[in-house]
Amino acid sequence: MLEYIGLTVVVPPMTSKRTIVLGTQYAPEFACLPLKINIGNFIEAKEHGADTFLMAGGVGPCRFGLYGQLEAEILGELGIDYDALIIEPPDKGIWQFVRRVRKITGSASWLRVLQGIHLGYRKACCIDSLERVVESVRPRERAEGTADRIFKQALSTIDRANNNTELEEAAGLARQKLQHIPQNEDMDVLKIGLVGEIYTLLEPFASGDVERKLGRMGAHVVRSIYLSDWVNGHLLGGFFRRKGQEEYKNYAKPYLNHFVGGHGIESIGAGVFFANNGFDGIIHIAPLTCMPEIVAHCIFPKVSEDLDIPVMTIYLDEQAGEEGLNTRLEAFVDLLARKREARETYRAI
Amino acid sequence: MACKVGIPRALLYYRFSRLWPVFFEKIGYEVKISDETNKATIDRGAASVVDEVCLPVKIFFGHLDWLSDCAVDYLFVPRIVSIEKKAYICPKVMGLPDMAAAAKKDYPPLISPLINNIGGEKDEEYIRELSPYFSCGKKRLKQAWLEAKKEQTRYDHTISKELWIKEGLKDNDSEVLNVLVLSHCYVAHDRYLNMNLLEKLNEARCRVILPENISDEFLEREVRGLKKRPFWTYGKQLLGSAFWFSRMPGRKGAIILTTFGCGIDSFIGNMAERHFKKAGIPYLIITLDEHTGQAGLETRVEAFLDMLRWRRKHYENNFPPYGEYLDTATRDAGIHRAYSCCTSYDK
Ligand code: SF4
Ligand code: SF4
Repeated sequence: MLEYIGLTVVVPPMTSKRTIVLGTQYAPEFACLPLKINIGNFIEAKEHGADTFLMAGGVGPCRFGLYGQLEAEILGELGIDYDALIIEPPDKGIWQFVRRVRKITGSASWLRVLQGIHLGYRKACCIDSLERVVESVRPRERAEGTADRIFKQALSTIDRANNNTELEEAAGLARQKLQHIPQNEDMDVLKIGLVGEIYTLLEPFASGDVERKLGRMGAHVVRSIYLSDWVNGHLLGGFFRRKGQEEYKNYAKPYLNHFVGGHGIESIGAGVFFANNGFDGIIHIAPLTCMPEIVAHCIFPKVSEDLDIPVMTIYLDEQAGEEGLNTRLEAFVDLLARKREARETYRAI
Repeated sequence: MACKVGIPRALLYYRFSRLWPVFFEKIGYEVKISDETNKATIDRGAASVVDEVCLPVKIFFGHLDWLSDCAVDYLFVPRIVSIEKKAYICPKVMGLPDMAAAAKKDYPPLISPLINNIGGEKDEEYIRELSPYFSCGKKRLKQAWLEAKKEQTRYDHTISKELWIKEGLKDNDSEVLNVLVLSHCYVAHDRYLNMNLLEKLNEARCRVILPENISDEFLEREVRGLKKRPFWTYGKQLLGSAFWFSRMPGRKGAIILTTFGCGIDSFIGNMAERHFKKAGIPYLIITLDEHTGQAGLETRVEAFLDMLRWRRKHYENNFPPYGEYLDTATRDAGIHRAYSCCTSYDK
C-alpha cells in the first residue's frame, strides 16, 4: 500500500525463531508475546536497512497502546535510532487516517493516497477470501500441502498487483486453482472455530501454526478475525461497511457484557456464534499473560457448559513446545470426533 | 430485615474503602466486609479462577468465595471501567462481574453497577446505574451517594497528607531514609500479600512514600512529558510518582512492588526501572507470588536498605552530593517540604 504512494518499504523478514529470541532478549520478561515479536521484527528490519518504523497504536485499555512508547525506549537503548511513525487508530474516522498517511508520505497527492489506501484494503479482502477457501479445502485435499502452496504463490502475486484489474486477475486465478485441487468430497470434517487474540490469530508463526495443523488433522477451521477486519475496524475507523466484528460482539451477551480491551469480547462473541452454528468445538488462543483473553478464558467454561461445546484455551509463549501443542490438538480433535459420533448414534436410535 | 451485602476486601476496595460501605449503610443495608487476606483466601481464590490471572484477582475471588459462605443476600462486584477522566483501569477489573458470573460456584446475586468515568465524573450517571439494583427512590439514593462521596473525599484528604511514618520517627532524624514504594493500592495495603512490607520499612526507619501520597495534579504534570500518556490509572500513578520522586532532593531509594501476572506492571514497571536506571536512583524490584517466602523478602529488603545507608554515608564523607548546602535534616525533609514548594516548579 505504501509503495503505491512512493515509499520504499522494508518488510521485516518473516517471523522466525530468531525474531523471537531477539525480542525476548530485550523485551520485559512478562510482556506479551506480540511485543517480543514486534521488537524482534524491528531489529531485523533495521538489519535490512529500514530507518522509519510504522506502527499501529491504540488507546487502551490493553497494553497494545503502549507498544510504541516502550519500543522506542528499548530500541533507543540498543542504539537503534529510529524514526517511529505511530498510526493511532483514528477516533475521528477515516479522514484522520488519510491525513496521517499523507504526512508520512510527504508529497504524494491526495487522490493517490486515497487510491493507495483503497487498494491496500482490497488486497487484504482478497487475501482473506482466499484464505477462507484454503481453510475449507485443507482438510479434504488429497495431496497434503497443495492448498498452502497455491496460497503462498497467490500472496506474492497479489502483493505485486498495482491496480484493481491486476488484483482481480491474481485473486481469480488463485481461487480457480484452489477449487480444482483434488478433494475427498465425502469426507466427514469437523468444524472448529478458532478465536482469540488477533496477533496470534493472524501470525501463523506466533500461533505455532495451529490453524494448519488442525487442517491436516481433518478439521475445517474458521477464524473469528481476518486481516481485513482489523484493517477496516482499527485503521480505517470502520469506513467500509461490512458485517463481522460488530456482530460477534453482540453475541457475547450475557457472558461478557462490557468490552475488556483487545479482542476479549470478540472472542467470547465469536465462540457463542460458532456454538450456535453447529461447530464441533472452539479453540481459543492467546499470548501468555494477555489480559483481555484471560478474562475470556475465565468465562469460556460457562459458555462451554451452557451451549454444550468443548472449548480449549491455548496460551502461547516463546518457549511453547511443538510436541506438547501437537498432542493437545490431537487429543482435542479426538474428543470432538468421539463426541460427534456419539451424537450421531444417538440420532440414529 | 435489612438486606446484607458483602463487599470483598480486595482490589479497588482499598481505593474506595469509605465510599461503598457508607453508601450501603445510608440506604439501610447491612454491610459485611470480608476479613483481611490470609492463606486460605489465596487458596480459595486459586481454586475458583483459572491459573493465569494475576495474584490480586485471585485474592479477589478468594474474598468473594469467603463472603458467599457468610449468608449475604448480595455481593458487591462493580464493573469498574475507569475511575478518572481519560484513564482506564485494568481489563481484568473490567471483566470481574462476568468472571464472577462464570465462576464454578454459584454466588449470591451480584450488584454490579457500571462505573465509567472516562468522560468525567457525573453523579447522575452513578444514580442511573445504581437505581435498578435498589427499590428505594432516586432521591434517597442520591442523598446516600453524595454523603458517601463526601466521606470518601474527606478520607482521601487525610491519606494523601499522611506518609507512612511510625510514631516517634522524627522528621529531622538524619538516619531516616526516604523510600518510594511503587505499587497498586491493593498491593500496598494488603498486609498479608506484601508481608507487612510497609511496617517493616517503618521499623527500619524509613519514610515510606506511596503513589497515593502524591497529589494527582503533580502526577498528571509529570507524565505530560511522555510522548504518550499512559492510559491506565495505575500506570499513570506509578510512572508519575517515579518521575516526581527522582526530582526530590536528598538520597533515596525506590522499591517496585509488583505482583506476579500483572499485565500493567510488566510494562510500567519496566519503564519505571529504565527511568530509575537513567536517573541513578537505587531501586529494588519485588515480584510477589503465591510462594514468596517471608525470609527471602526480608533479606532482600534489608540488603537494599543497607546499601542505601552505605551509599549515603560514603558519598557524604567523600564528595558532597548536590544540595549539600542544606543540612542533612533539612535535606531529608525535602520530601515533606515538597508539598509546599513544588507547586511552583514548572514543566
Ligand atoms: S491483547 Fe493481549 S497480547 Fe495484545 S497487547 Fe493486549 S495483552 Fe498484549
Ligand atoms: S492492574 Fe495488574 S494486578 Fe491489578 S488487576 Fe490488573 S493485571 Fe491484576
